[in-house]
Amino acid sequence: MSADANGSRGADANGRRDADANGRRDADANDSGGEDARPPYVESPIIMATVRVIAPFVFTLGLFMIFHGADSSGGGFQGGVIVGTVVVMLGIAFGIEMTRSWIGPRLAIGFVGGGVLAFLCIGVGSVVLGGGFLEYAVYADYGVPHASKYGIELVELAIGVIVAGIVTGIFFIVAAGMADDGGDFE
Amino acid sequence: MTSVVDLALIAFVLSTAVVTAALRDVLGSIIAFSAYSLGIAVVWVFLRAPDVGLTEAAVGAGVMTVLFLLTIAKTVRPTGDRTLERVDLKGLVVAVALVAVLSTTLVSLPPVGSADSAVATDDVTNYYLENAYSETEVKNAVTAVLAAYRGFDTLGEAVVVYAAGISLLLVLRRGVVG
Repeated sequence: MSADANGSRGADANGRRDADANGRRDADANDSGGEDARPPYVESPIIMATVRVIAPFVFTLGLFMIFHGADSSGGGFQGGVIVGTVVVMLGIAFGIEMTRSWIGPRLAIGFVGGGVLAFLCIGVGSVVLGGGFLEYAVYADYGVPHASKYGIELVELAIGVIVAGIVTGIFFIVAAGMADDGGDFE
Repeated sequence: MTSVVDLALIAFVLSTAVVTAALRDVLGSIIAFSAYSLGIAVVWVFLRAPDVGLTEAAVGAGVMTVLFLLTIAKTVRPTGDRTLERVDLKGLVVAVALVAVLSTTLVSLPPVGSADSAVATDDVTNYYLENAYSETEVKNAVTAVLAAYRGFDTLGEAVVVYAAGISLLLVLRRGVVG
């Protein structure tokens, strides 16, 4: 990926947003000066370089926490938040609009829906196979080794996917309220 | 059994809480709140609750701070040069009274780490501790309770998160989908 393209796109979006935000703010609150504007995205080579280095590690930590939540502290929820944080970091460093267009609008929603669906399937599946809800032992009869352990880890993964999707979605939603074309939601 | 580290941690948490409330600049206030969340996360670790500590650190200190920062980008900086907010006496009285009322429950709590507290002696707790590994094959008893014994509750929570998140995305959909 080309850093220059990222930077310039972020800067363009930022400049446009700044101007709009200032205009709106002056109209809303006359007693405050224009220098009060806090642009949501400031292009900073330090932040960009830092995020580029640590993002893979944070992502790995999140995945580790999701997959090892069954045997150590942490779990799907915490790991999911950390995975979501990676997207937040990318947004802060490279511009939120740019990150959103890179990730695409439907991935987060697909994650959330898919996670809930996976959880439901695991839970109802054991009922269909003749056990209780989420009775992992039933799956062992169908040849799944360590059914309980892997069942729990699959559920943790589903929770992690849900939470990561929600964190990403809420981040984009809150940022989107920030007048990217000159106003709040018309 | 309070060590110097404990006292320092409590002093840190209390002072960041006061700074969060007292600072007039919202940006400074949010940064202080983030530090407060980090302190609380360490408190959880001290209380042997690393899962809760991780959650507090990731959600409280991490994601919430970013969401707050994004939100205040829409606000204006207060005019004037004062650093601290003026103390509202009525509000202060109400806050102190509320803390005093809540503090009356403190005396009925068992000491931290007490072996005969209701949680440690409860049958359910001991059942989980004794049988969690043999029945669910996972070493983290918290995960065993969340995903196996209380799996239906966890599914309910996941659906609540799903419903709340999707409704939020739908209500404010212009940003992500539209």
